[in-house]
Amino acid sequence: MKPSFSMPTLVSGVSRRANIIYLVLMIIMGIFVVRLFYIQIIKYGYYHAAALSDQQKEYQIPATRGIIEAHQGNSIVPIVLNQELYTLFVDPTLVHQPKKVAATIAGVIGGSASNYQQEMQIKGTRYVVLARKLTKAQSSQILAYKYPGVGTQGQDYRSYPDGDLASQTLGFVNNNGQGEYGLEQALNSELAGTPGKLKAITDANGVPLAAVPGNIDRAPIPGDNIITTLNMGIQAQMEQILKSEYKKTKSQRVSALVMDPYNGQVVAMANYPTYNPANYSAVSNPSVFQNGVVDDDIEPGSSMKTLTTSAALNLGAITPNESFYDPAHWVIDGFNITDIKQDGGAREQNIASILALSLNTGATWMLMQMSHPGGTQITGHGIDAWYNYMTNHFRLGRITGIQQGYESPGYVPPPNLADPSIDLRYANTAFGQGVQLTAIQLGAALSSVLNGGTYYQPTLVDATVKPDGTVVKFKPKVLEKNVVKPNIGPELVPLMQNVVKAYLQGGFYFMNFPSNYMVGGKTGTAQVAQPGGGYYANIYNGTYVGFVGQGKPQYVIVVYNIKPNIPGYAGSYGGQPIFADLVHMLINDGYITPN
Amino acid sequence: MNPINRLGGRRLNLKNRLEEPEESLPRRHRPDYWLVIIVVILLVIGLVVIYSIGTALGLANNVSNNFYINRQLLAIALSVVAFLAASKIPLVWWKKYYKLIIAAATVATLIAIAMPVNPQYPAHRWVRLGSLSFQSVELVTFAVVIWLAKFLSDRIKNKQLSNTRKAFLPLVVALVVMGAVIAGVQSDLGSIGVILGIMTICIFVAGMPLKKIVTVSVLIAIVGILAISLTPYRRARLESFLHPSSNCLTSGYQSCQALIAVGSGGLLGLGLGRSVQAYGYLPESANDSIFAIYSEKFGFIGDMVLIGLFVALFTRIKRIAVQAPNNFTKLLSVGILTWLSIQAVINIGAMIGLLPLKGITLPLISYGGTSMLFVMLAIGILFQISRYTSYVQLNRNDSGDKQKERLNDDHTDRGRLRRAYNATPSGRP
Repeated sequence: MKPSFSMPTLVSGVSRRANIIYLVLMIIMGIFVVRLFYIQIIKYGYYHAAALSDQQKEYQIPATRGIIEAHQGNSIVPIVLNQELYTLFVDPTLVHQPKKVAATIAGVIGGSASNYQQEMQIKGTRYVVLARKLTKAQSSQILAYKYPGVGTQGQDYRSYPDGDLASQTLGFVNNNGQGEYGLEQALNSELAGTPGKLKAITDANGVPLAAVPGNIDRAPIPGDNIITTLNMGIQAQMEQILKSEYKKTKSQRVSALVMDPYNGQVVAMANYPTYNPANYSAVSNPSVFQNGVVDDDIEPGSSMKTLTTSAALNLGAITPNESFYDPAHWVIDGFNITDIKQDGGAREQNIASILALSLNTGATWMLMQMSHPGGTQITGHGIDAWYNYMTNHFRLGRITGIQQGYESPGYVPPPNLADPSIDLRYANTAFGQGVQLTAIQLGAALSSVLNGGTYYQPTLVDATVKPDGTVVKFKPKVLEKNVVKPNIGPELVPLMQNVVKAYLQGGFYFMNFPSNYMVGGKTGTAQVAQPGGGYYANIYNGTYVGFVGQGKPQYVIVVYNIKPNIPGYAGSYGGQPIFADLVHMLINDGYITPN
Repeated sequence: MNPINRLGGRRLNLKNRLEEPEESLPRRHRPDYWLVIIVVILLVIGLVVIYSIGTALGLANNVSNNFYINRQLLAIALSVVAFLAASKIPLVWWKKYYKLIIAAATVATLIAIAMPVNPQYPAHRWVRLGSLSFQSVELVTFAVVIWLAKFLSDRIKNKQLSNTRKAFLPLVVALVVMGAVIAGVQSDLGSIGVILGIMTICIFVAGMPLKKIVTVSVLIAIVGILAISLTPYRRARLESFLHPSSNCLTSGYQSCQALIAVGSGGLLGLGLGRSVQAYGYLPESANDSIFAIYSEKFGFIGDMVLIGLFVALFTRIKRIAVQAPNNFTKLLSVGILTWLSIQAVINIGAMIGLLPLKGITLPLISYGGTSMLFVMLAIGILFQISRYTSYVQLNRNDSGDKQKERLNDDHTDRGRLRRAYNATPSGRP
């Protein structure tokens, strides 16, 4: 008899149950295969997209912004440069010890640790800017701690070796890299260049992974450098002059322009008060950003008479030496146009005295001559002629196109003959009321008369320098030929010189210039329109337009003094001294080319 | 008393065979080299993946690009020594000296608890010696596998498996003690889960009544739910497992990134050097998340190969278990099978969004020296067992003379049969 074994039964029980476990395990493996098929094959598109949305990042690589340069003596010097500063940011979801990190940051760059800590705990965002404009040293110091979620990003900022020099003319660059105001705004696309593009699969910290195909890497194209027409010496002195006059006259703003009438190039252009563009964000009143030379379109007052005279001369309605009987007042559309009492009442006057004494009746008379030579009526013919000269020949009422942000077009009332008071309106525009001009428009228009009849677009750009170093010289752009006949300039010059002489004789001793220089000008004192109609009783704008040169007018100068707080005529006492200072400066510092 | 016991020497011999079959193993034969081949392939795959993400690991941990691969190579070198040792050590030694292993595991655990913690991983799980560290729970798991095989095979032999006091109570006590230490003090719920799984399955395979297993399972489920709901980070993990997409930026980040890695691998994968998720997106890319990185690189096809290799490995181990010469070796094999397979299932299941994250490594693939060492030690034991397997596919049909004869005489399958009998005894392995 064989023994009965119990072992084999037990062994087989263990084996059988081991097989059951194995079977369960194989079923689980089968489930895994099915699940992997679902994830990797069926849902591949979803996870592929999810992966890319996490891993693929698109960066704009900022292009280096072009610098801005200017003339100083015979050399070209930078007035706007770039400086790399760093923006400190955190990803709040990655910051482990906000208190410690905040304390470290405050230790390096100053500021309030508790504020930093608060910002590091902002929920629902992965990008919080803690501070801007850190130096490279500060940036590396913070990065050396290797705190997770803390990073810095280099960014070019503008730097200004000459501080606030020409600030309104230059403008500034905002935090988004966009130029605002001035040249920076007008030439933003040239200066900015073309940003590069980087589309890449990156690691979790945003560092592109080299091994992954399909990345796009396009290098940025730097912006053009701009060489301006500005003369640093004249600009700097002009700013000093404006500053001191501003303090004397307690104006709202003083602005001045020096330009070359023979090519439209602006040599100097400034305003006061001013600001430092490196610190533009500290400016509380944004009106200080405005370049008054191109933006303040005011009623110029009597300086307008230079343009009315030029138009009348060119039309042959008057001759330079013509005399006429000034009745001291005209009644037009039921209103009196009068001269001021000091002018001596009704008497014989001539063209020179119209400008020297700034006779409003004289300007009105010139418009009458444009209507009908010898007549004393304003007609539609005269109105149309004046309007045509101002808008088509002198290009008033539209922007000049100088490379500045926010240029004003000014305003010339349309010759609407159906308007019952159109004659009165135009009698006023003839001497500079009811018409609005910017200083740059006035300067460019007078330039076109003085240079023999060519209207050059005023410009601030002398040349652009391409990234490869090519210098592209900026050609003067002629916008209008035959503005006036070539002889009108030489006829106007002595008339305006006579104005200077008359002021000197009238006791304005600062208007005493060396006799071998040709200095002419015209004041303007304009009433300031009230919003809602009428004019302020005691508020005036002072303007001045003039020229200086030897043998020929070399520079055209325009001065706007907005709402000076002074007794006497704003043009004579607010505008004229600035003009005089500028002319003295140009003469004394040798900026006038000898004849 | 069994009458056979009184029948003299010949019968005593028989008694010996019945009562202590482990002492008289069948003849040695050629071991299961397939086991080794599969293990080597898995090790190579793990090394390749770790090597290929060396740059990412170096960047993330501020070490050199070769740091991880070098340490893994060192771990594998030590593990091969462990494997060779285990493949030589007589199987009875494990049974004889299991108390020493338990003692070692206890000491290691106590040292780990006493050691000052690393501020980066504030848990008392590691024994550190210079730059080397040792995870005590891996030794504990190994000790549990050995002890269970010894304990359960003894209980089977003494027919005490259904005895509550002799069999059930010690198991529960062991579990409670380990649960308190590993889950409680070391805060390692994943590892205690693995141990629990090993115990449950070994007890089931040994043949303990299901009623007891179910009772304990219910108790453990209650404790487990309490443990999870009382710990915020575990609750968050479970929450993120249940609602994966809603927590992608917070607690579910790793799960989401794992799924993205696996899914974006597609059919063929991105290629060996082109894992992106390893670069800071997917945490623990060399350890817990290595399957996801592998999937991203090699895609569905690669995953089929890897899962196929694991299936092959488990099949070989199952085969060794079924053919093992006695209950101790059977249960030992089953314990090792359970250990490796539970880890693989938990690890892969978490990566493909079927199970919550548990911080369990993928055996033979993941970076980590301690795990590698003990897994290879276990493989060495299996290798040793495979020398003594017999073709005992009794199944349900264990009556009939022919099969009983095969039980006694036929130690090998047909392929080995010829070689075994043709060889001289001295030439046998």
